[in-house]
Amino acid sequence: MSGESRNPRRNLSRALTRIANADVSETLAQQGALPTGNLPRIGITGAPGAGKSSLIARLANLRKRADRKVAVLAIDPSSPVSQGSILGDRIRMDAIADDPDIFIRSIPSRRAHDGLADNTADLLNAMEGHGFGEIILETVGVGQAEYTIRTLVDTVVLILVPHSGDAIQAMKAGILEMADIYVVNKADLPGAELMAAEIEQVADHQSADGWTPPVIMTSRDDPNGFAALDEAITNHAAWRADHKDVATARHARARYQAQGLISRRIDEVLEAADADFLDQEPGALFDAIVARLRR
Amino acid sequence: MSLNGKRILIAKPGLDGHDVGAKIIALALRDAGADVIYTGLRRSPDYIARVAVDEDVDAVGLSILSGSHKELVEETVRCLAELDAGDIHLFVGGTIPSEDHDELRHAGARGIFTAEMTIDAVVAAIEADLGA
Repeated sequence: MSGESRNPRRNLSRALTRIANADVSETLAQQGALPTGNLPRIGITGAPGAGKSSLIARLANLRKRADRKVAVLAIDPSSPVSQGSILGDRIRMDAIADDPDIFIRSIPSRRAHDGLADNTADLLNAMEGHGFGEIILETVGVGQAEYTIRTLVDTVVLILVPHSGDAIQAMKAGILEMADIYVVNKADLPGAELMAAEIEQVADHQSADGWTPPVIMTSRDDPNGFAALDEAITNHAAWRADHKDVATARHARARYQAQGLISRRIDEVLEAADADFLDQEPGALFDAIVARLRR
Repeated sequence: MSLNGKRILIAKPGLDGHDVGAKIIALALRDAGADVIYTGLRRSPDYIARVAVDEDVDAVGLSILSGSHKELVEETVRCLAELDAGDIHLFVGGTIPSEDHDELRHAGARGIFTAEMTIDAVVAAIEADLGA
């Protein structure tokens, strides 16, 4: 179905589908029509099972205001076998799922290798100008997501749970240096305080640019933790406005988007390659692929 | 055939609390390549229609075991139309006596799936309907 709907929400959700499905050429062609990203963006990331979706439900409820509807873009993994997906975040966002002031959209990761989805940058931009005051991005908590989310959002919140081995793994991987705010979720479980103390030590070394990431403990039955997270996000946004260079952030986003498009174009070329094409010597094959990358 | 790129909402309206069938269908549709959103139990037709719009699905599958299938299908069709989303395809599955099928089709159900059907037959019918 094409054409404008009389229901503005439907027009938005259809636009998001078009953007998510666009191949590289279509993506480049539609750039001029997209608004630029001005809305504050919060990225929530963490391992599967850390409780990201449930936490987002609590957070969105706290952050929405009469003049600040909240949009949630939730990315779920696609099956590498069928390319299909179960987009399950919405069930865990039960508490807000019925709230018309909160828009939730689930997106499959498809072939994206970085924990995000194809065209995530454009999807975020397309959510501008629909009465939203803030966008929350939830990513598949695996792989390189923690690095790439950094370039697309203003505030990165990393969710960890006690006794998952997460903290140690995260330190090894350098992920613990990427977040602006740390959350120890399910903090009613044993080991939570110890874990929070460990992360605090790491976070203290991370304040080179002047922002020391707070470590916040949240658990389902304690509203104070979520209120503290809400406040920490507001504080970080205020700090960022004074200290972060807008041009640097813009350049990082441009670079991420260009890199993503080129890497997808390579996938497109390789998928279209037949046996004869692939039978060339490595050097000739390389040159032939580069030649086909052009629009 | 494949459902790649198709978005399908599996929904449980009404009061029955059994969603094993709904979950099996959801997984089968994913395995056929679809992106599947599941609502969870006991949702109102109004809520289901709003999720269908926000998630921009191609089809909604209602799983109903409570016997209230006529009311729930009619109400869901009405709610979708109210949101200018009457073009979203509607299927219904569950314990649905054959004497009700005509009435459900007339109300707007494009497919009616009962426990006698194999999962493969259900997926094939949805594929055929969505032109996948």
